[in-house]
Amino acid sequence: MAKNFTPHRIGFYIAIVVVWQIIAMAGIWPDNIFPSPYEVAEDLFYGGADGSLFYGIATSMWRLSIGLAIAIAGGIVLGILMARVEVINQTVGSLVLGLQSIPSIAWVPLAILWFGLTDGGIIFVTAIGAIFAVTINTYTGVKNIDPHFIEAARNMGAKGTQLVTAVLIPAAFPYMISGFKQGWAFAWRGVIGAEILFSFLGLGFLLNAGRSLNDVSQVIGIMVVIMLIGLIIDGVIFKRLETKVMSRWGLR
Amino acid sequence: MAQVELKNVDKSFGKTKVIRDVHLFIEKGEFVVFVGPSGCGKSTFLRIVAGLEKPDDGQIIFDGHPETETGPERIMVFQEGALFPWLKVQDNVEFGLKMAGISKEERAKISHRYLDMMQLTKFADSFTYQLSTGMKQRVAIARALVMDPDVLLMDEPFAALDPQTRDLLLVEMQLIWEKTKKTILFVTHNVAEAAVLGTKVAIFSNRPSIIKKELSNNFPRPRTADDESLKKFQQDILLELRPEVKKNLE
Repeated sequence: MAKNFTPHRIGFYIAIVVVWQIIAMAGIWPDNIFPSPYEVAEDLFYGGADGSLFYGIATSMWRLSIGLAIAIAGGIVLGILMARVEVINQTVGSLVLGLQSIPSIAWVPLAILWFGLTDGGIIFVTAIGAIFAVTINTYTGVKNIDPHFIEAARNMGAKGTQLVTAVLIPAAFPYMISGFKQGWAFAWRGVIGAEILFSFLGLGFLLNAGRSLNDVSQVIGIMVVIMLIGLIIDGVIFKRLETKVMSRWGLR
Repeated sequence: MAQVELKNVDKSFGKTKVIRDVHLFIEKGEFVVFVGPSGCGKSTFLRIVAGLEKPDDGQIIFDGHPETETGPERIMVFQEGALFPWLKVQDNVEFGLKMAGISKEERAKISHRYLDMMQLTKFADSFTYQLSTGMKQRVAIARALVMDPDVLLMDEPFAALDPQTRDLLLVEMQLIWEKTKKTILFVTHNVAEAAVLGTKVAIFSNRPSIIKKELSNNFPRPRTADDESLKKFQQDILLELRPEVKKNLE
């Protein structure tokens, strides 16, 4: 991890910004089509100064957290049920595979009809976009548990929910983390996409607002913010969780 | 009254009949070692006693009561230990106690006793991948003993060990048995191991298996694998076992 933060990487990003600035200064395209990095940074700074940027970030993160929490909780329950109850696997399991192929954005019209232009609708899109990735990975994880773990636990008196919380979930956890990572990525795409279409607060809304105001700097600035938040959550939360679990198991 | 009694136990997997008509009567405090050709169903037999596998026919009577479910009075030690990689050594050892709802302080008290007995105190906070195979098996034995089971079921627990570690654990196993007076059912394919450990050695026939012969072993303890006096007894076991192994190869 640390080894990847080489001077190469830093140099690469500096080079991008420099080249970008040079191209912008060359004046090939007008400013309102191709702004310079300086103008983008300035735009972000104003957004930060008047609070609208942070309010947008907070709104999107709040929706993301609720939606992802619902997806993780629901996906774990569904995945375990599918793995442990054959009837559920044969029925619900096949539907899950089908639903998983629907892009989260395709749920937006339904969400608007059901929830109106509300937070609930955006959270619905976020959750439903993420839940099936969590479900499928949890299912795979539980299916791959060494059967001796389950037998040993039952032999030592574990049953019912005890067996689920003390054995099935921790034993399947390395797989479940992959599900959380995929789920989070889908949720992040879902929340931004839904916000663009619902056009009601959040980073997606700011993107769309930038578009309607012909403010290219804002559009690019918000896109950079979306990317940075994605990198941070991926690197800080999920990488750490993964590293911790893998080292516990001696897998890395 | 017998600690463990099996009556007419049959078990097939698909069309393959693994064990047929097994009768067995094990007294409290006996250390019975089961040997047999590979694939003879020794492990299946042990799993049936543990309640992890249902017999097609017949009964397992435990302490006078017919049993069909698994339970902590018959604890199984698996071949590969089946330790939980997400738990530290101490938490592995305390697992069954936790399931039984025993308080944290009480659990720690009990687990410390057995960690000490198995010389694992230093490794209480280790994760299982940090342990050697021999230490893992000692954790698995400690995890079984904390449950204070009436019967200990051991499925080739030393098969993956190097000879030196195995010799050490053979001595430890005898000490544990003498100290705790548990009834132990121990499956192995190693004749020397059987001769060292058992008060009785039961020999399985080739599949579909019956218990072909039971030999008593009253040599004084502690015994070791290279006791000259045990060689004759090993020969007796081999004499019964060889024709079965031969049939198995045909």
